[in-house]
Amino acid sequence: MFIYRREWLVGSGLLLLTGLAQLSVKAADALDFNRDVRPILSDHCYACHGPDANQRKADLRLDEEAAAKADLGGYAAIVDGKPEDSELVERILTSDEDDLMPPPEYKKPLSQDQIEILRQWIQDGARWANHWSFEPISRPSPPAQEDDEWSRNPIDRFVLERLNEEELDPQPEASREVLIRRVSFDLTGLPPTPEEVDSFIADDSPDAYERLVDRLLRSSRYGEHMARFWLDAARYGDTHGLHLDNYREMWPYRDWVVNAFNRNLSYRDFVIEQLAGDLLPNPTRDQIVATGFNRCNVSTSEGGSIKEEVYTRNVVDRVVTTSTVFMGLTFECTRCHDHKFDPFTMKDFYSFFAYFNSIDGEPLDGNRKEHAPILRLPSDYQTEQMEHFDREISVLKKQVENPWKEVDEAQRAWEAELLRDKEEEEQNPSALVLNDWYSVGPFGDVRLYLLPRKHGPEGKPIDLEASYKTSTDETVKWKRRPNWKDGVVHSDLTGDTAANFLYRVIESQVEQTVKVSLGSDDGIKVYLNQKELLSKDVSRGAAADQEILDLPLKKGRNEFLMKIANFGGATGFYFALVDGASALPEEVLKIVQLPASDRSDEQKKKLQEHYRTKESEYPALVAAIDELKTLREKRSAVDRDIPLTLVWKERKEPRKAFILTRGEYDQKAEEVVRRTPASLPPVSDDYPNDRLGLAYWLTDPSHPLTARVAVNRFWQQLFGVGLVKTSEDFGSQGEPPSHPELLDWLSATFRENGWDVKALMKTMVMSATYRQSSKLDPHRIERDPENRLYARGPRFRLDAEMLRDQALSVSGLLVEQMGGSSVKPPQPDGLWFAVGYSGSNTVKFEADKGGDRVHRRSLYTFIKRTSPPPQMSTFDGPSREACVVRRERTNTPMQALLLLNDPQYVEAARGLAERVLSESHASDRDRAERLWRICLGRFPEGGELEDLTNAYQEELSFFQEREEAAKGLIGIGDVPPAEGSDPAKLAAWTTVASLVLNLDEVVTKN
Amino acid sequence: MNPVEQYFQTMTRRHFFRRGAMGLGGAALASLLPKTGLQGQALLGGRTGTHFAPKAKRAIYLFMAGAPSQIDMLDYKPSLDRFFDTDLPDSVRQGQRLTTMTSGQARFPIAPSKFKFARHGQAGAWVSDLLPYTAKMVDDISIVRSVHTEAINHDPAITYICTGHQLPGRASLGSWLSYGLGTMNENLPDFVVMTPTWTGRKTAQALYNRLWGSGFLPSKHQGVALRSSGDPVLFLSNPEGVDASSRRRLLDRLARFNERTKERYGDPETQTRIDQYEMAFRMQSSIPGLTDLSDEPDHVMDMYGEDAKTPGTYAASCLLARRMIERDVRFVQIFHRGWDQHGNIAEDLPNQCRDIDQASWALVQDLKARGLLEDTLVIWGGEFGRTVYCQGKLTRDNYGRDHHPRCFPIWMAGGGIKPGIVYGKTDDFSYNIVENPVHIHDLNATILDRLGIDHERLSVKFQGLDVRLTGVEEHGPVEALLS
Repeated sequence: MFIYRREWLVGSGLLLLTGLAQLSVKAADALDFNRDVRPILSDHCYACHGPDANQRKADLRLDEEAAAKADLGGYAAIVDGKPEDSELVERILTSDEDDLMPPPEYKKPLSQDQIEILRQWIQDGARWANHWSFEPISRPSPPAQEDDEWSRNPIDRFVLERLNEEELDPQPEASREVLIRRVSFDLTGLPPTPEEVDSFIADDSPDAYERLVDRLLRSSRYGEHMARFWLDAARYGDTHGLHLDNYREMWPYRDWVVNAFNRNLSYRDFVIEQLAGDLLPNPTRDQIVATGFNRCNVSTSEGGSIKEEVYTRNVVDRVVTTSTVFMGLTFECTRCHDHKFDPFTMKDFYSFFAYFNSIDGEPLDGNRKEHAPILRLPSDYQTEQMEHFDREISVLKKQVENPWKEVDEAQRAWEAELLRDKEEEEQNPSALVLNDWYSVGPFGDVRLYLLPRKHGPEGKPIDLEASYKTSTDETVKWKRRPNWKDGVVHSDLTGDTAANFLYRVIESQVEQTVKVSLGSDDGIKVYLNQKELLSKDVSRGAAADQEILDLPLKKGRNEFLMKIANFGGATGFYFALVDGASALPEEVLKIVQLPASDRSDEQKKKLQEHYRTKESEYPALVAAIDELKTLREKRSAVDRDIPLTLVWKERKEPRKAFILTRGEYDQKAEEVVRRTPASLPPVSDDYPNDRLGLAYWLTDPSHPLTARVAVNRFWQQLFGVGLVKTSEDFGSQGEPPSHPELLDWLSATFRENGWDVKALMKTMVMSATYRQSSKLDPHRIERDPENRLYARGPRFRLDAEMLRDQALSVSGLLVEQMGGSSVKPPQPDGLWFAVGYSGSNTVKFEADKGGDRVHRRSLYTFIKRTSPPPQMSTFDGPSREACVVRRERTNTPMQALLLLNDPQYVEAARGLAERVLSESHASDRDRAERLWRICLGRFPEGGELEDLTNAYQEELSFFQEREEAAKGLIGIGDVPPAEGSDPAKLAAWTTVASLVLNLDEVVTKN
Repeated sequence: MNPVEQYFQTMTRRHFFRRGAMGLGGAALASLLPKTGLQGQALLGGRTGTHFAPKAKRAIYLFMAGAPSQIDMLDYKPSLDRFFDTDLPDSVRQGQRLTTMTSGQARFPIAPSKFKFARHGQAGAWVSDLLPYTAKMVDDISIVRSVHTEAINHDPAITYICTGHQLPGRASLGSWLSYGLGTMNENLPDFVVMTPTWTGRKTAQALYNRLWGSGFLPSKHQGVALRSSGDPVLFLSNPEGVDASSRRRLLDRLARFNERTKERYGDPETQTRIDQYEMAFRMQSSIPGLTDLSDEPDHVMDMYGEDAKTPGTYAASCLLARRMIERDVRFVQIFHRGWDQHGNIAEDLPNQCRDIDQASWALVQDLKARGLLEDTLVIWGGEFGRTVYCQGKLTRDNYGRDHHPRCFPIWMAGGGIKPGIVYGKTDDFSYNIVENPVHIHDLNATILDRLGIDHERLSVKFQGLDVRLTGVEEHGPVEALLS
């Protein structure tokens, strides 16, 4: 019971008064430095007498044995076995406020019990030990208990030893109905079907449970379930997370995680591929996708951001996440100062930083989904299509480039004419008046639609008095731009992922064609007199001559309209008139002016290319060029649809790393090189000193943390609380393990079994500890409210995803399609809009349509990190902005409202009702029983069936008198109810189904 | 008390009942719970209590997202006129880092405010004519002109002031209050957020749910967004075809089933769930009552202004804030957007000010008239200030200003704040603070202090740190403001 002492004694005087004192006395018989003493020293003393040299007072440190016991000039802080001679004891007991430790102003006074522990420990000889989690993982033998008929595997023997010490008995095994539901949720995140329950109950072979477990571990649902815990830790989301919070394409990484669990990738490779897949020899596409782990950090392109600052933040996030997820270490503190509690320094932090600072890409994300470095992931079909187009293009290209008698003759004539024109030179192309520019915008839209979709003034005659609605319901009007000059780049347009329109009237005294030079940031469309002349989907900064376009002007007034589509970042345009010959690139003109015999092959080729693509009107050639253009457009359409994902790619030369004073990006101090923290085992010389070496080091048998931290998280998944409760912190400020030997046994076994995650999960769920009934009684509550001793099975509320997946599953609506882009099931209107940046491409939520998009497992739900789906966040699902390895588990009225009223849950209730009506044709009583068993597995008992049947009868008569209400209720949802169903019956069963879906027993893993 | 009963009652708060919670005696607890008493407390959960007698029981934070231009509103700099279009002296800028929106500008020409200022009230506070109503109440409020921060871009800066940290992941001010003080109310959430419309700059800065998120605290402490369209609180309305009587029947049956489950498993969490469903039911009737303004008399509606009749405006939000305060909601935060005047101050800033001026004044007057201002703290302010130098084109009549972290004003009023003070001073360029700097952590420490919380003792272990809202450096309440 000792594990609770610290929390209870220190935290809550109330519980101490209730009879726990005896436990502390009992435990105090054998004080353990790591369990009992270090936490006190760490929490109350190390801030001034710990690892941080800058903060150290009186030159005394209590985190190292030698220093703590050193002669301080005739006395010592700690004298083994002699509390009376120990200055530490003197100072914590004194009534003199000036001498008292901790100083009263530190506001962390010691309790009487803590003082007594320190005194007793010194009296017992002040035995020191290194912090437990930095000690190598041992392989303890499972203890043997007399008359142990309960234990099924070594886990139980560790647990039972402790229970015996505490004089507690384990509970008997849970009923089969409860057990199959529990283990199905724990291994697949979904409840069992009644048929699965029945066959498990009927199976009286001794290995029935084991075969059940094996079946669940083989299910593809297993990987989906396991992945979502990891995605919390990896902070996976579908948007950048900061500022604009635009869409980011990252889901192939999510699918990689699901597959990794399903194919039971060893945890060692799981670590290596995510941290350094790109550095493996000849990495596979999958191994590179895995490196997305270090790209999941939030990113920004907020206007005004300082690159270096953002770069530093990105790297810090990677360091903090990596150390938390793999090592349970709280590196964050050492960003600004040496660690106050654990033996880590700022130098350790920035040396670790040096492993993660050399990505070959910009720190600012450009608000683009494809924040480089990226990996494109064409499907086989897409690859095939691309190859097909490439072939066709190359054939046509040859055709366009090969000698072509008629064309070549025409070219020579054109050259001659050009030279003549050039000599005459005095031509007067103008007789043109270019009127003032007008602009309107920005019109935000999804990147994909910005160019193709018509916005604002597009496709109608221009009315400068008109106003237009944008996608965000704002009104925009034409603005005159008298100051815009031609021939310079204008960058004073606004709107991220938005389109602007520029308009001017061109008056011409004659019908003529003039050339204009255009530039655009990014895509561009040009209309002359409402006729589209140019459309180009391209990402670039604006510059002169990006497009040279012929404007066939009619006599009189011409309306020139240009659409500039900005796909992220800055936006702008360029416009200038070019007269006849000077529209020729300078270079081409020079070639023409050379005698043909003096032209090099390259020059000839250039000239020919120019002539054929820009000047020639020879029909067959023009047709070929047109076709080439069409093919290229088709190719780029396929290209655009190819999924991509953010990955890691290392720069050729690593960036330098420095200690940053106070963590400030611009306060560079000493330069540091890649090195792992000095207080952990060194990296083997056999490993390269890069991320790959780092990954090998983490998974080296000598590493004390990686296996423990992983095992603890898997345990936490099943039991609700880890063996180390603070699964994010294995340092001295974290809680020590409740069962240190069990943790080590599991960790050592895990590692020796080749880091086999399925084997580990199996071992845990096969244990008698796991299989116990979760019944509580006052005695067990009193002794062990959090179930840290395992005198009962785990019982707690299902996580957000499990709740929604359960509802979809029992209703028969669940679409078990795996993978692919994230889906948007409905959510209340306006949630994104209420917070979103006006120009963001995720400012407006539009629900997807169709079961394959709205009835998928919650794992696939789109996560906008600045406004995560309420179905997740209401049930403690994190926003995925930062790494989370332990969710809270709350119980709130908002949850009740959601489960009762969210249309998706209502739809699920109706689906469940329909299922019951169609599957069970006998009495209402049978239907009620069927409904109950679909949700709970077990049979109703003790009046439950009567209550349920009565509820149905009452609701039926209620709805029979209110047909409109009945129709309203059953009409909710994406999928309409089956034709010909009786509205009152269906509504009544829907109400009963909703009741059952809200039962405590249904929303809980029992 | 029987340990089992004890356990049942402390079930939900036990999780977070830790060292930092000390100092909450029964007396303080009881004094904070005039309506619900201990029973209600246990029912609603939450670790509660104060470190010392609070001056304010509730708070309203009027957050101006985007950073209002102090030089045009509250920080009068008459001598700037002389410097029109001259370069900001290097001696003033002192190498201060600039955002990359203006760091490339060839010059930093000074843009004096085009708006007129006058002195008001006994305090003689300077207020520009953009804020005529605020000017009328300077003796009710305390203006601090010397708040400062380190962040220079919106996302980190607003995350910083709202959660104490520039990166996502921490708990927001309101969730700290909910966690630390618990609830006073059985029918409404502790922490409510509103995000009204605005009329100034169209492309407004984003907000983020994290600004009212609970970070590492349980999600029950996160702010509940009160919406102006659709359900005021998510999923508040019964589905079509379900009326209150149907819902009541369902809840009664649910309770009966859940009572059986409680017997079956003996899990105290089942009782909590029964109670939470009941609270949900009460919210279904109390929230529509809260948001229905039809019972507000004309003179009150008039006081808040014409906008108050339009749902979703800042004025309507202020009126709702008062109604929530009356109902003992602990903390209401209104995020008004559109204050990012990089350009076009001439048109956009007056609109922004019109949005908020009268309604903020009305809120303070209304609270005062009802005797609620005494124990309600009202805070007004943004995430940083704006530059004295112009961004973009400068004329006498129009100009823009970039982000400026080194000084910005806030005002506070009510519970435990000395009224009529003007605190802190900036240099002639509203660039550097010359007197009484107040870091944003000091500001938050002041808010916590007024609500009875020692900011150094309200902490939670997270990533090995004792994390507090006010960071690890030395900070504290601004004594001069405290009454």
